[in-house]
Amino acid sequence: MLSKRPSSEPITQQSKLLPSLFEHIDEDQRLTVFHVGLALPETVDFFSRYRCKLHFVDLFAELPIVSNEENNPSLGQQFGDLLRFSPGTRFDICLFWDLFNFLDSDAITAFLKELRPYLHTGCLAHGFSVHNLKSTQSDQLYGIREIDTLRLRARPAALPAYAPHNQGRLKTLLSGFTFERSVLLPDSRLELLLRAKA
Amino acid sequence: MIGPSIKIKGEVTGDEDLVIQGKVEGTIELSDHEVSVGQSGQVFADIKAKVIKIDGEVTGDIAGNEKVVISKSGNVRGNIVAPRVTLEDGAIFKGSIDMDPGDNSSGKLSLTSQQPANSPTPDIKSPGLDLKSG
Repeated sequence: MLSKRPSSEPITQQSKLLPSLFEHIDEDQRLTVFHVGLALPETVDFFSRYRCKLHFVDLFAELPIVSNEENNPSLGQQFGDLLRFSPGTRFDICLFWDLFNFLDSDAITAFLKELRPYLHTGCLAHGFSVHNLKSTQSDQLYGIREIDTLRLRARPAALPAYAPHNQGRLKTLLSGFTFERSVLLPDSRLELLLRAKA
Repeated sequence: MIGPSIKIKGEVTGDEDLVIQGKVEGTIELSDHEVSVGQSGQVFADIKAKVIKIDGEVTGDIAGNEKVVISKSGNVRGNIVAPRVTLEDGAIFKGSIDMDPGDNSSGKLSLTSQQPANSPTPDIKSPGLDLKSG
């Protein structure tokens, strides 16, 4: 449910699945979080209530992430450079937002291959996909305002490489995750809750 | 205060608060005091202080014993370790934020050698900042 807004002002969006990321987190547990996208004030403020380490990687700034044999390094090499975490890093929570709507199949496969060693078994992840491939592109910056509320800001410019996958295809591509729940949103988008497989 | 026209290369230590409006390369350690990087400040250094406020540009790792504040004009590339971190609207940050420094065995904050995932390594050769002291 989106609140009314002037076009460039941040909006809030309720999330039914975001609370699931935190429902089994107790106060003393140390969290390691992977956040795809820019660090926003409300997200840092939100996580300050937890014992946590946040890793911000703005993959959206790298779009389009493609490989052509002549000029670009391989996708694996590109994601390897972008996801350069210290050994021993294991994420409990991943916030992908709508990344998978902007990566092609090869890029998603390469991304997950590089990310996989850094995931705890049972790591929970949140993201958005589409219910209908004709769903219009959404260019938003995502922040967490409350445990069930996102804060969305319009990006200054549209992102390149919008090419969403249908849910069946995405399930195949994200084979390292189980799809725990999905919620259909009013704009024909899907909110996803994922869990990393053992 | 390090004025806008001042450039320093090396290790900055001391026993008072510091405002940086100029350029500093190296390390800055004022563990019991406040370091402010002003809007014209350019720091290519690891910073360790009690409170760190950034209105300018910092490339390097930051350890705040109490808190770190990146203001709306601040631009930081590096890893932050502090019990409290505030990002103001408009601030630019690339790296990681560790808000649970309490499990460090020495009881003091320490900077890790972790690379921020999508930010380049600062072109600084640290001259051996001893983070166990304090």
